[in-house]
Amino acid sequence: MIIRVLLLALLGLIGWRFFVRRNRLPVHIITVAVVLGLAALAVVFPESTNDIAHAVGVGRGADLITYLVEVGLLFVTVHYYTKFVELDAHVTKLVRELAIVRSELDELRKGKPTP
Amino acid sequence: MVTVRDETWIVIAAFNEGPAIRDVVAPLVAAGWRTVVVDDGSRDDTADAARVPGACVLRHAINRGQGAALQTGIDFALARGAERIVTFDADGQHRMEDLPALVGALDDADIALGSRFLGGVEGATRGRRAMLRVATAVSNRLAGLPLTDAHCGLRAFRASIAPKLRITQDRMAHASELLDKIAASGARWVEVPVTIRYTDHSRAKGQGAIQGVRILFDYWFRA
Repeated sequence: MIIRVLLLALLGLIGWRFFVRRNRLPVHIITVAVVLGLAALAVVFPESTNDIAHAVGVGRGADLITYLVEVGLLFVTVHYYTKFVELDAHVTKLVRELAIVRSELDELRKGKPTP
Repeated sequence: MVTVRDETWIVIAAFNEGPAIRDVVAPLVAAGWRTVVVDDGSRDDTADAARVPGACVLRHAINRGQGAALQTGIDFALARGAERIVTFDADGQHRMEDLPALVGALDDADIALGSRFLGGVEGATRGRRAMLRVATAVSNRLAGLPLTDAHCGLRAFRASIAPKLRITQDRMAHASELLDKIAASGARWVEVPVTIRYTDHSRAKGQGAIQGVRILFDYWFRA
């Protein structure tokens, strides 16, 4: 059962890092705890995933988990890509403002009136 | 008396143009054009080289791309009361002699686009010409405009139309973005023959086919 120990240890590590390093909004803590708890249950009782899979019309528990992971991954990718594009635009705006303000500052220092 | 050149700002986006930029800026300033150079976070001495007396030099703290640098220069020029804006390349491929006709075309249009295929191209390889034709065809299809040259960096437009032509594509897709905005805004546009002089320097800095793919990616996925 090396794999179970390994997976549970990794899940525990993720939970620990989350609590130590991240913000502590109750809703975040609950969400992460629930996801990690479900993952731990699936590790300890792998057969139980089969029952859930059958209930929703999927052949095997492992397949169901694969589908969920795929959807999750896609969501995370799209979410962060959107954020990234937004951030990119913000950085440009800041760099632009800084460039203009700095040139005005240089002119003021030189005592040259702005035309 | 206020002349056309007093109210017209030449906006130059420059990235690592240390060796070429002074020879581009100095004649423009000497001819009485208001000139602003935006050094887009160059690693060389572009900003210092561009500091010709009379020219304004802005510096992006980090490299943000040609589209971003042009918009910075445009914002700066508008804040200084520009009536007309000209975008001009930093690598020496554009000729100052084309400016009066380009700016003059704004008397009857909102935007004047330089066209090297109506004018002339010096020093371009066949491959480069062919690639530009392809790029023009692609851009025309995307924007729905019947242009002869879609990616000439030499353009002039009136300040009044500037808010409708705001560049949000930081990198090279800004040229295609601009065409979309021209089409969408219903601006009166005109093409003006210009002559492009390719040098070894400008060829080395030009966009190749691989970059073309990147530009299309930006165009579609970064709207």
